[in-house]
Amino acid sequence: MARKANPARLVIALIVAAVLAVFLLYTSIAGGGTPSIAPSELAGRSGDVQLAGLVVGPVRGDSHAGGLRFKLRDIGGETTTSVPVRYAGSVPDLFKVGRQIVVDGRLRNGIFVAEPGSMITKCPSKYVAKQSGDPY
Amino acid sequence: MAELGRAALVVSLGLSLYALVAGAAAAWLGRRRLAHSARNALVAAFFSTLVASGVLVSALLRNDFSFTYVARTTSEDLPTAYTISAFWGGQEGSLLLWLLVLTGFGSAAVLLNRRWARDLIVWVVPVFATVAVFFSFLVVAVASPFATQTSPVDGAGMTPSLQNPYMLAHPVFLYLGYVGLTVPFAFALGALLSGRTDERWLVATRRWTLVAWAALGIGQLLGAKWAYEEVGWGGYFAWDPVENAALMPWLVATAFLHSVMIQEKRGMLRVWNVLLVILAFSLSLFGTFLTRSGVVNSIHSFTQSSIGPWFLAFIGLVVTVSLAVVFRRLPQLRSPTKLESPISREAAFLYNNLLLLALSLAILWGVVYPMVSEALRGEAVVLGRSYYDFFLRIFGLPLLLLMGIGPLVAWRRASLKNLLTTFRWPTGVALATGAVLLLLGAGSSLPGLVAYTFAAFVLATIVLEFVRGTRARKALGASSWPGAFSSLIARNRRRYGGYVVHAAIVLLAVGIAGSSAFDSVAEAKLSRGESMQIGDYRLEYQALDERVASNATQIRATLAVTRGDRDLGTLEAGKNAYTIEQQVSNEVGIRSDMLTGEDLFVIAEQIDADGSVYFRVFVKPLVNLIWLAGLVFLLGSLIALWPNAREQRRLVQRTREVGVPATR
Amino acid sequence: MTLALLLAALLAVTCVVVVALPFLREPEPESDHLDELDENERRRLELLEARDRALAALKELEFDHRTGTVSDEDYRALVGPLRRDAASALQALGDGGEAAQEATPKKGRPTRERTS
Repeated sequence: MARKANPARLVIALIVAAVLAVFLLYTSIAGGGTPSIAPSELAGRSGDVQLAGLVVGPVRGDSHAGGLRFKLRDIGGETTTSVPVRYAGSVPDLFKVGRQIVVDGRLRNGIFVAEPGSMITKCPSKYVAKQSGDPY
Repeated sequence: MAELGRAALVVSLGLSLYALVAGAAAAWLGRRRLAHSARNALVAAFFSTLVASGVLVSALLRNDFSFTYVARTTSEDLPTAYTISAFWGGQEGSLLLWLLVLTGFGSAAVLLNRRWARDLIVWVVPVFATVAVFFSFLVVAVASPFATQTSPVDGAGMTPSLQNPYMLAHPVFLYLGYVGLTVPFAFALGALLSGRTDERWLVATRRWTLVAWAALGIGQLLGAKWAYEEVGWGGYFAWDPVENAALMPWLVATAFLHSVMIQEKRGMLRVWNVLLVILAFSLSLFGTFLTRSGVVNSIHSFTQSSIGPWFLAFIGLVVTVSLAVVFRRLPQLRSPTKLESPISREAAFLYNNLLLLALSLAILWGVVYPMVSEALRGEAVVLGRSYYDFFLRIFGLPLLLLMGIGPLVAWRRASLKNLLTTFRWPTGVALATGAVLLLLGAGSSLPGLVAYTFAAFVLATIVLEFVRGTRARKALGASSWPGAFSSLIARNRRRYGGYVVHAAIVLLAVGIAGSSAFDSVAEAKLSRGESMQIGDYRLEYQALDERVASNATQIRATLAVTRGDRDLGTLEAGKNAYTIEQQVSNEVGIRSDMLTGEDLFVIAEQIDADGSVYFRVFVKPLVNLIWLAGLVFLLGSLIALWPNAREQRRLVQRTREVGVPATR
Repeated sequence: MTLALLLAALLAVTCVVVVALPFLREPEPESDHLDELDENERRRLELLEARDRALAALKELEFDHRTGTVSDEDYRALVGPLRRDAASALQALGDGGEAAQEATPKKGRPTRERTS
C-alpha cells in the first residue's frame, strides 16, 4: 500500500508545479499591467499608463465625434498642474467636473490621449459601480 | 433614541467580551455553568444587537434626519423598501448588519449543537465571541451608526442606481454568505482547540457551509444582474477588486465543500480542510476590508475612513492565531489514510481543489498587485482584464471538464478500462456538439468553442447519472419511473442536488462563453427616422420623449426593432436626470429573446440638443442562461440542503451509542 | 431622551441576568464539571465514525456498481478491501468498545443516558 501512495503524490506535485509554471510563464511573457499614476507624475513618461485624477473644466467636445476634451489634476494635494486629456468612446454617467476618474492611455505631444472606452468614474460615496469599459 | 442604539451596542460589546473571556476560561478549566453563561452571553449579544438594529430601522422609517447616517443615506421621498435597504447601504449600517447576522448565526449554531457536541461548543463560543468583539468594537468606537446632528430639512438621498430590486437583495445575500463562513471556521478552530479529532465539527457545520456558499453565489449573481441592467455598460462582471472580493472566498468555499466530502468518506485531508476554511474565512474578512478601506483603486470604495487598518490588524490576528493552533495540533490531525490512485474520485476532488485554489490565488495576486508594486517600486501597477481572463480560462476550463469526470470515477481507484467505457457516450456527445458548433461558426473563439464542448460533456454525464440512477432504483422495485426518479433524489439528496448545482454551473459557463466570446457591438449616431444594423437586427430610431416623474426627468428614445421581415416591437433607451441627487443615470433598453436566450442591449450614450442620439448596441448571445443558472443553482442547493430524516436518525444513534444524549 | 435611557438600562439589566442565570439557578451544584467525553468515550466515538464511514463506503460502492459507474471487474477489486475495513471497524468496536465501557467508571451524571 505504501508504494501505491507514491504515484498519486507525484501527480499532485506535478500539477502544482504545472500551475506555478503557467503563472510564471504568463507574468513573464505578458508582462505586468499598467502603472497607475497621478497627473503630476505624467510629465516625460512614454508608454501606456493609467491616470487617476480629478476632472477640471471646461469640458469641451464630443466623445463620439472628435473627442471630449478636459483636464485632469491630482486628487488631493496642493499641485495645481493639470494635464489636458482627449477622450473618445463611452462616457460614464457620473462624469462631470469635480469627479474622480481613472483613464488609460498615453502622453502624446503634451496631451494625454486616452484609450477609447477606458474611463471609469469613482462614486463619491457609498458603493456604486459606474463604468463603461469594454463589453464582457 | 440614538442613545438607546449606542447603549445597546455597548452592551453587545460587553457581552461579546464576556463570552470571549468567560468562554475561554470555561473551556480551559472545564466549568459547566461558566460555559453555559458564556453561551448565554453570545445569545444575549444577538438580542442586544437586534435592539440596536431596531433603533436604526425605526429611525430610517421615521425619516429621522437627526441620525447622521439616516440623513446621509435616505431622503423624504425615498420609497419604503429602499429606505429599509439604506440600513446596509452605508459603512456603519453595513457593519451593524454584519454584527447582527454574526451574533444571530453564532447563537443559532451554538444553541442547535449544545447538547450533542457540548465539549466542542464550549470552544466554539469564545472563537465566535472574538469575531463579535471585533465588529462590536468597530460599531461602538470607530464607525457608529448612531452619530447625531442637528436635523437637516431633508436627507441626501440614495444614489439612484441603488434604487433597484436587485440592490435590495444583493448585499443581504452577500453578508449571509460572508458571515456564514464564520460558522465552519469557528467550529473548525473550536475542534482544534479542544483537541478533538473526531468529525463532529464537520457534521455540525455541513449545512451552514452550504447555506453560506449558496448565499454568496446568489448574491454575486444578483450583483451581476444589477450591473448588467442598472449600470448598463454592456457587461455584468468587470474583475473590479470588490467583485473579486466576493469571488475569492466563494471559490475557496467551493473547494472546501468538495474536500470536506473526502474527509467524510475517507478520513483524509484533515489538515487541508482546516487550512481551507481558515483561508475562506480570512478571504471574506479581506474582501470586506477591500470594499471599505479604499486601499485599492476601486469604483466601489466606501468613504475612506480609518477602518482599513483595523481590519488588516484583525485579519493578521486571525491568520496568525489560527495557523499557530493548526501547527500545535498537527500531529493529531495527520490521518493514516493515503491517496491510493491518481485516478479516483478523491484525486478528482483534489485536482478540483488545486484548480480552484490556483484561480483564487491568481485573482488575489491581481487584486493586491497594485499595493505590492507600490510598496516595492513606488508605483502602483494595475493588472487589467486580460490578466484575469487568461487565468479564468486556463484554470476554469479544466475545472469545467472535471465537473463531468469526478462524479463518474469510483472512490479509492478506478481502472482506465472502466473509465473508457463510462465516458464513451459523453465524449461522443461532446465531440459531436463541438463539430456542429464549429460548422455553425463557433470557431471564431477557441476558448468559447472549448467551453461549449466541455459543457456538452458535463451535461451528458449529468443526464447519464440521472438516467442510470433512476434505472437502478426501478430495478430495486420502485413503482414507476417518476417514482423511481423522486425516490432516487430523496435518498441521495446531496449527490443529486450536487448534480443539479453542477448543471447550473454548466449553464453559467455557457452563458458567459456565449455573451463574452461570441457577442457583437455596433455604434451609430442616429437622427429621427434613421436606422442601424447589427447582426440580423435592424433598429430604427423613431421618437424622443421626455417625462417628468416624482424624483427624476426621464428621457427615452424609442427604437423599432425588426429582424428580417419580422417586427419585434419597440425598445426604449435613455437617461434619467435625478433632481435631488443631481445625477444622471443610464437607462438601457434590453430585449431578451426567450427562445435563444439572446439579448439585444441598447445604450443611448449621448443625446444631443437637436434630438440626434449616439447609440451603442450589443447582441449578447445566451446571456440569459446566466440568470437561469441562478435559479437552477438555487434549486440544486435546496435539494442538497434538505434535511434527511434517515441521516439524522443515524447521527442520533451514533452519539447515543457513545453515551452522549443527542436531543437536538 | 429619558425613555431611551430607561430602555437601555432595562436592556443592560436583562442581559446581566441572562448571563448570570446558570449561577442563579444552581448556586450549589453537586458537580460543576463540564460534561466532556473522556478518553475512552472519545476513542469510541472515533471508532463509531470509522465504522459508519466503512459501511457508507460499502453502500456507495454497491450503488455505483448498480448504476454502472463501477464495472464488475473494478467492483470485485474494490469490494474486498472495503469489506475488510468494515469488519475490522466492527470488531474494534465489538471488543474494544466493550472494554471501554467496562473501564469507564459510572460518574453518576443524571443527564446522561446509557444504552447498553
